[in-house]
Amino acid sequence: MSIPGLGQFSSAATTAASAAAASASAITTISLQPFWEYRFEVPFSSSLTIRLLSGTAEKDGTELAPKNPYTFSGTKSKINTWLGCELEVTSDNPGAYDAYTAEHAADESPLVSYLNLHMKLEGLRSTAAKAMNTEAMGPRVLVVGPDASGKTSLAKMLTAWATRMGRQPLVVNTDPTEGILSLPGTLSAAVFATLMDVTTEWGGTPTSGPAGIPVKLPLAYYYGLERPDQNPKLFRSLLSRLAAASTSRLSEDPDVRHSGMVIDSAAVDASKPGDLDILAHIVAEFSANIVVSLGSERVTAELARRFAGQKTSLGEEIAVVGLDKSSGVAERDAAFMQRVREKAIKEYFFGDAKKNLSPGTQNIGFESVTAWKVAEAPDSTSAEDDDDFYDPGATDSVVEKVEPSDMMLNCTLAVMYAGTRDPPDAIRDANVMGFVYITDVDEKKKRLKVLAPVNARLGDRPLLWGSWPEPMVSLLG
Amino acid sequence: MASQDEGFLEDFRDALEGLQLNSRFEIQNLTMIARESTEEALVISQALQDHIKRAAPHKKLPALYVLDSIVKNVGTPYTIFFGKRLYNTFMEAYASVDMATRRKMDEMLKTWKEPIPGSIDTRPVFAPDVTRPIENALMQARASGNQQLRRMMGPGRQMPQGVPYRDSPTPPAARPPSQSNGGYIGGPPPIPGVNNAPYGQHGQPPPAQYPYHQPPSSQSTPQPPANIPAFQPPYHGSYGMAAQPTISTDALKEDIQGLITAFRAEFARNPQDPSIQSKLKALLDLQGILQAQNLPQDQLVLIKNQIAGLAVTIRAPPAQTPTPVPISQPVAVAPPPAAAPKVSIDSILGSGALAALLARGSGTPQASTPQPPPATVAIRSPPPQRAEPQQSAAPADPMALLGMLRKAGMLTAATPSSGSTPVPSLTPTVPLPFPPPGIPTGPPSMDNFTGDIAFNALSLKQFRPHLVPLMFEALGPQCTHCGRRFKTDDEGKKKKMAHMDWHFKVNQRIAEAEKSGQHRSWFVDETDWINTRETIDEDRIAAPGDASGTQGSSSKTPNLHYIPVPSDPVLKNSVCPICQENFKQIYLDDAGDWVWEDAINVDGRIYHASCHQEVTGNVAGVGTSNPYTRGTPEPVLGKRKAEDELAGLRGKMKLETA
Ligand SMILES: [Zn+2]
Ligand SMILES: [Zn+2]
Repeated sequence: MSIPGLGQFSSAATTAASAAAASASAITTISLQPFWEYRFEVPFSSSLTIRLLSGTAEKDGTELAPKNPYTFSGTKSKINTWLGCELEVTSDNPGAYDAYTAEHAADESPLVSYLNLHMKLEGLRSTAAKAMNTEAMGPRVLVVGPDASGKTSLAKMLTAWATRMGRQPLVVNTDPTEGILSLPGTLSAAVFATLMDVTTEWGGTPTSGPAGIPVKLPLAYYYGLERPDQNPKLFRSLLSRLAAASTSRLSEDPDVRHSGMVIDSAAVDASKPGDLDILAHIVAEFSANIVVSLGSERVTAELARRFAGQKTSLGEEIAVVGLDKSSGVAERDAAFMQRVREKAIKEYFFGDAKKNLSPGTQNIGFESVTAWKVAEAPDSTSAEDDDDFYDPGATDSVVEKVEPSDMMLNCTLAVMYAGTRDPPDAIRDANVMGFVYITDVDEKKKRLKVLAPVNARLGDRPLLWGSWPEPMVSLLG
Repeated sequence: MASQDEGFLEDFRDALEGLQLNSRFEIQNLTMIARESTEEALVISQALQDHIKRAAPHKKLPALYVLDSIVKNVGTPYTIFFGKRLYNTFMEAYASVDMATRRKMDEMLKTWKEPIPGSIDTRPVFAPDVTRPIENALMQARASGNQQLRRMMGPGRQMPQGVPYRDSPTPPAARPPSQSNGGYIGGPPPIPGVNNAPYGQHGQPPPAQYPYHQPPSSQSTPQPPANIPAFQPPYHGSYGMAAQPTISTDALKEDIQGLITAFRAEFARNPQDPSIQSKLKALLDLQGILQAQNLPQDQLVLIKNQIAGLAVTIRAPPAQTPTPVPISQPVAVAPPPAAAPKVSIDSILGSGALAALLARGSGTPQASTPQPPPATVAIRSPPPQRAEPQQSAAPADPMALLGMLRKAGMLTAATPSSGSTPVPSLTPTVPLPFPPPGIPTGPPSMDNFTGDIAFNALSLKQFRPHLVPLMFEALGPQCTHCGRRFKTDDEGKKKKMAHMDWHFKVNQRIAEAEKSGQHRSWFVDETDWINTRETIDEDRIAAPGDASGTQGSSSKTPNLHYIPVPSDPVLKNSVCPICQENFKQIYLDDAGDWVWEDAINVDGRIYHASCHQEVTGNVAGVGTSNPYTRGTPEPVLGKRKAEDELAGLRGKMKLETA
């Protein structure tokens, strides 16, 4: 709606919304004591605007700027305060949103342990930055936990706090269920040197125009499936690619190296050895030296046992620490999460209320499309395999060439940084250039109608087609 | 003076509209208006150039003659304003007129390359940098026929369909020589309309020799005024300016500093108002120019006039209330007042003025900021040896300027503060002393604070009140726009300055970008991602002289970045890896070759410079010479090498199993 602090208004819809807000809005002033939280749930159909009137307040570690309006839609989140604050909350539909204040004391708030964790990490970063050894590296923190334990929220908080202290941590997403600066179904990494846009999940990615809050630059690999165990082989192979690029960045970029990494992970089920294997693979590939396990004593215990006595390549112990899950993690049911994914795809092509984007539509013949399908390949044999490294010598391909068909309708495909004649492994391992959405398939005329971020020839690039994110029937509706 | 009259521009436009023929009288009249309104030179020159652009083909030449007359008889500041867009103005007109008119334009162009006959100023009417691109383009066009010309002018431009062109001049005698301000013929007449402006103050000859007062003997052959030998020398100095007291740079700097301070404070109070921001931006730009260069008097006067004019010509946004918005008011979502005009350095000093000023200073070496070759624009300014009575300088009182601004409603009456942004006062219910007792004072070292934290749940759950201020007060107050904190030490102040500057620039660019469609960019590829370095508070750097809002008028000065069209056939067919679009091929006379506009070569790949910068935040390839770019691009790193390193590093990072 408005660029915080700068008051730009870019869309007619925004103006309409604010007009509506002026006429039918409910304005509430909320006073929060230190450690209290304001938890809110806004449906996709309406919006909630929050302004910090006094004091300090933050959302997932990013401070709100005083007096600036922050508008949320389709969000279940919270605003917390360390020093106390007064918030002004304006709704365009007072009946539609849900909010309450959680009145914590200091010893009840899990945030206290998160802050201590951050400070500890900050101490390690500062040591790395001062070290004579030019290879000294900041902490690599892996956040793990079962579903709805607030992993992503903690990862965001640790990132935002590090950035606030002038650090440039590398954020790595190994959870294909949701994307970080990329669409669901991808694994990605990005350096965070600047503020996050708190009204979005993780901020924005580059567009052809300027951005009032600096964009972040993601590196993404396409997995195309929802959970790591649907194709562990592919998942590990991509993790290795991502880890290689990430460590290269760290080794060449001192600011990032000293800041270290924050790694988010997919929900873990302690009863599935495969899940723990994947985590061990992440720890190994990214040289993680700190594992923060949220909300599950069992996971904490399993991992502590696994990593006991192990050291990273830098000779560090691997610390496993169990902490309480984030308080007030809202129930985000399947339907809500589906809307979140749909919103992510929409925003990729069309931007948001702050910035409208104009994607290109192309009509292309089947013959000029080179598409590969990512299929499920659950692999039970590798679970016990102690050697959980990707084997580059493996020949059996995990992607398969396909002809376009109406099965592609409403699907989001990845455009790969590879050539159409490259071998399947090279295409699979390439990083993602962007995404296209299939709006129409005419099997008779053998033509596809494709939505692409820019008007560019797509024929030169292979497309990867998975099943995640799922087809979005109402994307253009 | 005419400028006081709201209608003067209307008069000027009307007179232009009525200008069908090469009418000496009407051209004189228009020149008069321009001369008497130098403080409105920007709008006048824009009006004229717009008119030339819009006018029917048969009206273009007379209008061009008006431009010619103003430049030759008034000079600065018009020369600056016209110069920047001259290529477009001239070429567009040229493309749409018939052959006879083109010959006239050729002749006129010829005179622009020469000093004004009889003038003691030996410089050409327009600097070679302005005229040469036009000449080159015309030469090319002649060499390749009209196709070429049409192509240069872009698609959609149509050749004239034989609109009958009358170029019979109206003999001067056919018109009454005197109207209210007539009587030019023969000798220096009294200067009309300049009652209180003593032109001859500096002992110059009275500048009142008006154009086209030659004996009406040449009337039989239609002649463009440019060829009239009796064309008068330019006046020494600038009209309406010599009358001003001498300006000292220091005084001007003080004025500007005062304004900047005031605007900063105002901006802090009204962060939602883009007009304040853009004014502040313009002032900061001006300040930079003044600090970097020694400008001649006439330009100082120009700047001073325009700064003062800022106060009176710009209307205050109506809803500008300095009082804090009551809490009960709905979220401040009122759109910025539509009337708030955009002010940039170009709109203060005119399009191209910044380029001119920068070009002017290019002789002054600046250690820290190597300038790319300046896009020089002719500046008709008095010779520097003119003695300036410095002591007579009456430095304008900055408070007076502030007063004017206040009066105009641009500032609140509040005394401008130092520009620091106040943190909202807060009374935490839990007192959090900083520094905490028992902790050594001095620069907080993380080790001092975090040594007692261990990686176990018990230690992590223990509340340490002294850590909280490290995340707040210790980091300094928040930026009121984005919430980022800046320390108050020298380094912090510097960072904050750069940060605020970034906000201004980005906000301006957002306003510009909203006019054109935007799209999501492709993600960068692996190698580029690895080689990217984060940039903080850096914005895309406008090429010097391309300060703002000059898109579409800069075909003469193409983007700073260009590369020769590759001879390698593979590269020649390559597209920008970021947007996947082709490169624009243009002929650049500075390079003497065909080049790809807005292109850079990074590690053997060619990108649009703008795309590359948009994505990486870096101006690759010019990083070292770019004062804004902290992240110097990495040394060339071929893809193969990077991949080798990837493999090596991965091996190195593998977990050692005990
Ligand atoms: Zn800021
Ligand atoms: Zn491009």
